[in-house]
Amino acid sequence: MSKPVYDLEHHAKMAYGIGDPQCFKGKAGKPKFKEGDRVRIKDLPDIFYTRTMTYTRGAEGVVTRLVYESPAAEDEAFGNEDTPEWFYSVKFMQKDLWPEYSETYSNDALETEFPEHYLEAV
Amino acid sequence: MSDHEHNHGHVHKPAPMVEEVSDFEILEAAVRELAIEKGLFSAEDHRVWTEYVHTLGPLPAARLVAKAWLDPEYKKLCEEDGVEASKAVGVDWVTSPPTQFGTPSDYCNLRVLVDTPKLKHVVVCTLCSCYPRPILGQSPEWYRTPNYRRRLVRWPRQVLAEFGLQLPEDVEVRVADSNQKTRYIVMPERPEGTDGWTEDQLAEIVTRDCLIGVAVPKPGVTSNAQRPVRKAINPVHHDH
Repeated sequence: MSKPVYDLEHHAKMAYGIGDPQCFKGKAGKPKFKEGDRVRIKDLPDIFYTRTMTYTRGAEGVVTRLVYESPAAEDEAFGNEDTPEWFYSVKFMQKDLWPEYSETYSNDALETEFPEHYLEAV
Repeated sequence: MSDHEHNHGHVHKPAPMVEEVSDFEILEAAVRELAIEKGLFSAEDHRVWTEYVHTLGPLPAARLVAKAWLDPEYKKLCEEDGVEASKAVGVDWVTSPPTQFGTPSDYCNLRVLVDTPKLKHVVVCTLCSCYPRPILGQSPEWYRTPNYRRRLVRWPRQVLAEFGLQLPEDVEVRVADSNQKTRYIVMPERPEGTDGWTEDQLAEIVTRDCLIGVAVPKPGVTSNAQRPVRKAINPVHHDH
């Protein structure tokens, strides 16, 4: 299947007066995960570009919020805007990210976002 | 009189017009000129954009926090829909920028992270230096340094301590890493000693550092902490 070719103003025209990520609202279908779900971050191969940090790959966390719909940055970077997906805010306990994190502060956490295809149910 | 007949015995070289141009400044100019040449935007667009960027600062965000401290309903709106709440302080994430579709790289998804007595948020961007510019202005130099970005996620308490903020063990420190299209500001706890204060008075103590989360508001403190400036090891010398 060939990919549509857009002119340079495609994104601007789509988002004009609406905003980004608002312009992708309603285009991702049914979300696979919900608030409170426990998820693991997949360590997917990425060629040239990713916004999924190495330190989160393989780690388990909890979905705190469904934030918006958007193409994944990994796709959008190459003009592939036709498959928006849900984005999730995921909270990790710091000790699940850094094995040496101080036990004294075991409540400390970190929150960041992922497109759906990086998440798997635990 | 010729150049080498000075009465103090050495030749003056003209001082350089620009002392240093970083690789990034050269890169920016090259990309900008190329984009104009290719018709992505015009020089006029660029000027309008630059002028817009220079109008931005942290005042609207400080005002948002002060309003929320005084109005529980508005505080709830901030927590649920930061973009909608921003309108009350004059910031429309979509239509304020000249593009009419938001700010490239800032997007239009503000999240207000509300602190509680047992929860303290702090914001970073480990990938680059994403920052809620439409409501907070340009990011401070230190926010963009690899040092802050790579250490805050891993040793948040140590980094906060360097900013002069030490938090008790039972307070959860929660780092927000703005890696996608959400931009964050922190709504700190309203400090003791501000009973009966007006919105203006409250807004004054909500500094940029408080909004990033590396400081907490205190009555009497209305400016950001001074960062130590270290002397260059190899400073640039002029021979005149």
